[in-house]
Amino acid sequence: MAEKIELQKVEVWDGNYAASHALRQAQVDVVAAYPITPSTPIVENYGQFVADGYIDGEFVMVESEHAAMSGCVGAAASGGRVATATSSQGFALMVEVLYQASGMRLPIVLNVVNRALASPLNVRGDHSDMYLGRDSGWIQMDAFNAQEAYDMNLCAFRVGEHMDIRLPVMVHQDGFITSHTAQNVNPLSDEEAYKFVGVYNPVEEMLDFSRPVTYGAQTEEDWHYEHKARQHKALMDARPVIESVFAEFQKVSGRQYKRVETYMTEDAEVIIVALGTTVESARVAAKQLREEEGIKAGVVAPRVLRPFPFDAIRDALQNCKAIGAMDRSSPGGALGMLFNEVSAAMYTTSARPVMSNYIYGLGGRDLSINAIKDIYRELQENATAGEITTPVQQFISLRGPKLSFFETRRS
Amino acid sequence: MAITSVKNLKEFSTANERFEGAHLLCPGCAHSMIVRELMNCSDDNLVIAANTGCLEVSTAVYPYTAWDTSWIHIGFENAATAASGAEAMYKARKRKGTLKNPDAPVKFVAFGGDGSTYDIGFQWLNGAVERGHDFTYICLDNEVYANTGGQRSSSTPIGSSSTTAPAGRVSYGEKQNKKDMMSIMAASGAKYVAQVSPNKWKNMAQVFQKSLATEGPCYINAISACCTEWKFDPKDTIHISDLATDSLVFPLYEIVDGHELNINYRPKNIIPVRDYLGSQGRFKHLFKPQFEHVLNEWQTRVDAQWDYLQRREAARV
Amino acid sequence: MSLENILSNAQRGQRELGAEKKVGWDEVTQGVVINAFEYDATNVSRELSEDRKYSDFSSYTATVASWRIIKPIYNRDICIDCQNCWVWCPDTSIISRDKQMLGIDYDHCKGCGVCVEVCPTNPKSLLMFAETADGEECLAGWPVKEKKAKETETE
Repeated sequence: MAEKIELQKVEVWDGNYAASHALRQAQVDVVAAYPITPSTPIVENYGQFVADGYIDGEFVMVESEHAAMSGCVGAAASGGRVATATSSQGFALMVEVLYQASGMRLPIVLNVVNRALASPLNVRGDHSDMYLGRDSGWIQMDAFNAQEAYDMNLCAFRVGEHMDIRLPVMVHQDGFITSHTAQNVNPLSDEEAYKFVGVYNPVEEMLDFSRPVTYGAQTEEDWHYEHKARQHKALMDARPVIESVFAEFQKVSGRQYKRVETYMTEDAEVIIVALGTTVESARVAAKQLREEEGIKAGVVAPRVLRPFPFDAIRDALQNCKAIGAMDRSSPGGALGMLFNEVSAAMYTTSARPVMSNYIYGLGGRDLSINAIKDIYRELQENATAGEITTPVQQFISLRGPKLSFFETRRS
Repeated sequence: MAITSVKNLKEFSTANERFEGAHLLCPGCAHSMIVRELMNCSDDNLVIAANTGCLEVSTAVYPYTAWDTSWIHIGFENAATAASGAEAMYKARKRKGTLKNPDAPVKFVAFGGDGSTYDIGFQWLNGAVERGHDFTYICLDNEVYANTGGQRSSSTPIGSSSTTAPAGRVSYGEKQNKKDMMSIMAASGAKYVAQVSPNKWKNMAQVFQKSLATEGPCYINAISACCTEWKFDPKDTIHISDLATDSLVFPLYEIVDGHELNINYRPKNIIPVRDYLGSQGRFKHLFKPQFEHVLNEWQTRVDAQWDYLQRREAARV
Repeated sequence: MSLENILSNAQRGQRELGAEKKVGWDEVTQGVVINAFEYDATNVSRELSEDRKYSDFSSYTATVASWRIIKPIYNRDICIDCQNCWVWCPDTSIISRDKQMLGIDYDHCKGCGVCVEVCPTNPKSLLMFAETADGEECLAGWPVKEKKAKETETE
């Protein structure tokens, strides 16, 4: 039996350490991993916890990220709790197996410490890897700081392992800014945390010899569509499950989470929609602008990126006049993902806030509070004009001549 | 481990079938002879992983499975890693006491074709062997990507005609020699490495039982004569396999603990390599006058390999 | 256990591949998993096929008989029960019980002819005939011993 750790009421942990304590408290059975910056310490710490007798699990150090997720799939199909971590290029190498994990309905928890994708090579945080995973059939939860990295991991096991869901879950945090910045974290005790996460309940396990099971069968055109539809249904059904898990987590932790986090949105006229650490920066900027310039600024942040919180996004943005969707990923010849998906959500209502898209922070480029304030001021101009006054997509905090794309047809 | 007797065929034939019919492998396919024998020679619970390939696409096509044991297919390259993960989970759960059948003996097995073993899955296999997982990897080696219509792999032998190394007016086909997986796997830390062929069923069954009983990673290179891509009549699968082992193109031997080499079959009458090559359409062009030198080089190479194996065996190093 | 009893097993070879009921998305199995059995299969490796409870998902319940254009016919009178055909059948279609060859499972046999090639008796105890041939007639016209037959090598 694994030894327990007496934690302080407040620990000073970075996002990686916070995530690895959550894996320890969940008593993950198998971690198959191939470490990559900036997620490396998560699995290193798991290995140390195993070495010190704080976890009874198996730490399998494989030879690539593809193998890491392959090992996780083999382990998860064998009826136990499985987790790992990766970033960036490693995530990209895993992609093939991500689809297989979700298709087999295996509740693996993958910590994705967000980092840019090469080329050019870069180890710093942006959201390219998070965006790459968005069609993989995984639940994606986003943590904006170290506390949330810890909390979301505990919630991820509950959501993914729920009997109605049985899907893998990614927990995202921003590379370095969250993963390597020590912050105050209020952990649960080992007992509380394990009680919240619960004992793992196997489904269709390969090690139950009374019920041999075939995993990974071929389906062609007469079966594939039905299976993918059923899988998508489970992903969509995760929405109320996530809400009930968050509600239960609030009871044990006192911390409240929602599928979409809102900040000062009740009367907001201009709202920034963002992910990751930018959410916290935008909150600071919004508060200051309200006090200093009277701009009614607010922040909306998808806590859960998949299943996309279409309904909650729509509700949160219903009464504002202008929205800046901030995408921290090179948009690849299109509008950014947040712009597209938020616009789609708004278009199903009668509200027509002015939508604009900001590309920022690629490869870890800092986004200052002042730069965010400039965005709010632009959004305010849009709100006042009742139409977009800038190109739809702008690259901001970028050296060189102004770079923008997608002009609108103005009235 | 519960062993089925393979002392003679009559006794072996009392084994209960664990690999069901109505799979979709070609008539006469040696893959199913090999897989069936592996599954029939042990009573233990098996957890089997398979790479993408003929075996995988033919035995688990929804809504049917031919497998009476637990089985998983993930991708083209990662059966060894799936087995690694399953084996790690078994260890973790055994320690924690969460297994439903804690006392049931279980063996972990992975299958791959030569494409997924020698080429695309090489790294995954090598990693799993290096890590020392307790599993047996069986390569169903038909020397070509048969499932996709006959492209060359790094197991395809010199002079063979494949769709991506075709023989033609001026080319005799494959130019590269077959990769020596036996040596590679022995050097990578496999506890037990052996080459088997289904025509020598008893040796194959003994090797399977030995590998299942060996703690640690084992690698079996099973020669799987492919009527479709080698181009011979499906009824002749065992006959072609006889020619393969008796010409010493496929010598049957094992390497224990990475160094101790034992020859498992010595043909009473060694037949010429050209008899083996001449039995299959994939080598037919070699019998044209302009490619005569390839036939001669084949015989020289097979002789040299046999000589090497015998000296390695005698040296006991 | 007689061959008739084994072959009359209601579960075996019931459905043509592709003829299975095409259920909707709400009825396909979660995670595309397939369970081969419908009962506690803990001891399945120590049970004969006819004593097992296969699920409809086991290919044991399906048939590939339509693949066959030639079929093996078995002549019990000549057979020496060497079990060559059993060990080398790629389609689990030679039925042997208690060290005796009983016959052929025509629901799973694809007609490859390997069993005939590996049969060591003289004349052979298994021969290939047209799929439409009448079994009784085949047996009635079975060839006699060849004088200079080349023996197939066996173990």
